[in-house]
Amino acid sequence: MRARLLGVAVGLALADSSIVTLALPEILGQFDVAITSVAWVLTSFNLVLALLAVPAAYVSRRRPREAFVSGSLVFAAASLACGLAPSFEVLVGARCVQAVGAALVVTAALDLLARVQGGDEQALRTWVAAGILGAALGPAAGGVLTQVLGWESIFLVQVPLALALLFAVRGVTGRPTRTPAGRPSLTANSALLLVAGGLVAALFLVVLLLVDGWGMSPAAAGVVVTAIPLVAIVVGRLRPSSLGPVQGIACGVILLAGGLVALALMPRAGWGWTIPPQILVGAGLGLTVGGLTEHALRKRPDQVVHGGWTIAARHAGVVVGLVLLAPVLTTALEENRDEAIRAGAAVVLDSEIPPLDKLGVAQDVLAEVDRANDVGELPDVERAFEGRPDDDEWRALVDGLQEQLDRAVTSAFSGPFLLAAALTLCALVPVALMRRRVA
Amino acid sequence: MRRVAPLLVSLGLVAAVVVPYLALGGGRFEPAPVADPCETRERPDADGLAETLERVALAGVDGVACELGVSREELVLALRSEEALTAFSEEQGLDRDELEQAITDGLVRAVDDAEEAGSLPGFVAPLVRRAAESVPPWLILETLESLGEFLP
Repeated sequence: MRARLLGVAVGLALADSSIVTLALPEILGQFDVAITSVAWVLTSFNLVLALLAVPAAYVSRRRPREAFVSGSLVFAAASLACGLAPSFEVLVGARCVQAVGAALVVTAALDLLARVQGGDEQALRTWVAAGILGAALGPAAGGVLTQVLGWESIFLVQVPLALALLFAVRGVTGRPTRTPAGRPSLTANSALLLVAGGLVAALFLVVLLLVDGWGMSPAAAGVVVTAIPLVAIVVGRLRPSSLGPVQGIACGVILLAGGLVALALMPRAGWGWTIPPQILVGAGLGLTVGGLTEHALRKRPDQVVHGGWTIAARHAGVVVGLVLLAPVLTTALEENRDEAIRAGAAVVLDSEIPPLDKLGVAQDVLAEVDRANDVGELPDVERAFEGRPDDDEWRALVDGLQEQLDRAVTSAFSGPFLLAAALTLCALVPVALMRRRVA
Repeated sequence: MRRVAPLLVSLGLVAAVVVPYLALGGGRFEPAPVADPCETRERPDADGLAETLERVALAGVDGVACELGVSREELVLALRSEEALTAFSEEQGLDRDELEQAITDGLVRAVDDAEEAGSLPGFVAPLVRRAAESVPPWLILETLESLGEFLP
């Protein structure tokens, strides 16, 4: 039971790296900030976690129990501040503090898990699995909460959860480590950084495409993207024993990059088309992140500090992914917007609706494009046709315009997915060096 | 071979998804390119005066767009308001007066062609020509289409 609670603590803390993905449009609507600034709600948490994971690990190796308790309290207090933030600046500041708490919780949990489960190997497995599940389920959980209760609830529900997790350490004493930690694994950690950078596309962009691009409800999109963690768990369990550790990681990198390429080449809009690529991504996730983390930690004198290095590498990768992919997506959406408007105008001009209605429709559609642009959303075609007839000619026009919008949005995401695939494939270089070292 | 086999299996799994996606049009799922305004468009016969006037207006826009080297859609979007026309002329580096004249000339030419082809009734053609010459370009499409509503 304690091991589970500690696993939940790790999952909860790491879910925060992606949990607000679907809440960004709501946050944008509440605070008067630029679209480019709102991503700081995500970036700030990951940046601070990347910077503080190793120092936090050094604190945790000396006083694991105290580090876990203080980390949980800081995390709970910062989550409360996020949920009640009166301004965007306070929200970003509180996210930074939340990351401080997360760094302490995650690194201390690794030591405490070893105490509770009676061994480093078992603790490492639980710690890695909890981290993967937390990060992968984050966007889905955030989407459901945002839709049902509003974005603030994402943070407010974490307050009692974080406090409840304090029960996990009742009666557990840590085992302070005094031996030198040794050098971190450069190859495993740099591969983790690159893979995490690529995973940003799979974990963040797929959800954005489903909800903001194709108009799915956040809750439904949340269900769709659980394919990734589900497959990751199955592949992690069914992994053949004959597969060598480095071999498994290399296969994972290929599957992950291949899944991202498939996401870039979707032939239609629709959640069903994301499932086969998500299966590849999930399999890649199950083989790479766990394998690389275990490679970075196994048989090291101090698991906690090396665990801190892996967290730093993963979240630095998330920051790199966000910094690289966000501008590429924004530029592609702007370029495709103009193309879509021209294609939409052709659809209206060639449609079968009465000639006298065409100019009015074109004006309404353009007004909707401008409105959506102002609030950082994609246009809602149906909204531009409110009050219009619902016969075959009009329906064909709405479908034609929706098709052009789907094409514009889906192809705008192609570039970021391909870039993420390239970033992921770069991980094969450090993986090849790992192979040489193991050999 | 044993070492490489898992990597080949992984590549095979990736190909099993990517190849069908490519075959079904993956990578080409993007906004439809707009038609070349210099090419003749195939259209069914117009039904009623409103539709005939629309055809004349669009033929005129096609002609002007072809002359200016832009798409019909860009030009129609530019004709939706005075501001849009100004922005379009600046974007294309065109003199505003020359642009307005080119639009008027193109529409008048389309009316002449339609009259010659017998698709526009003789008593309507002068009215439409007059409208094309006197109404500001950003109101021309609306005016031509409205004519269809009032004329018998």
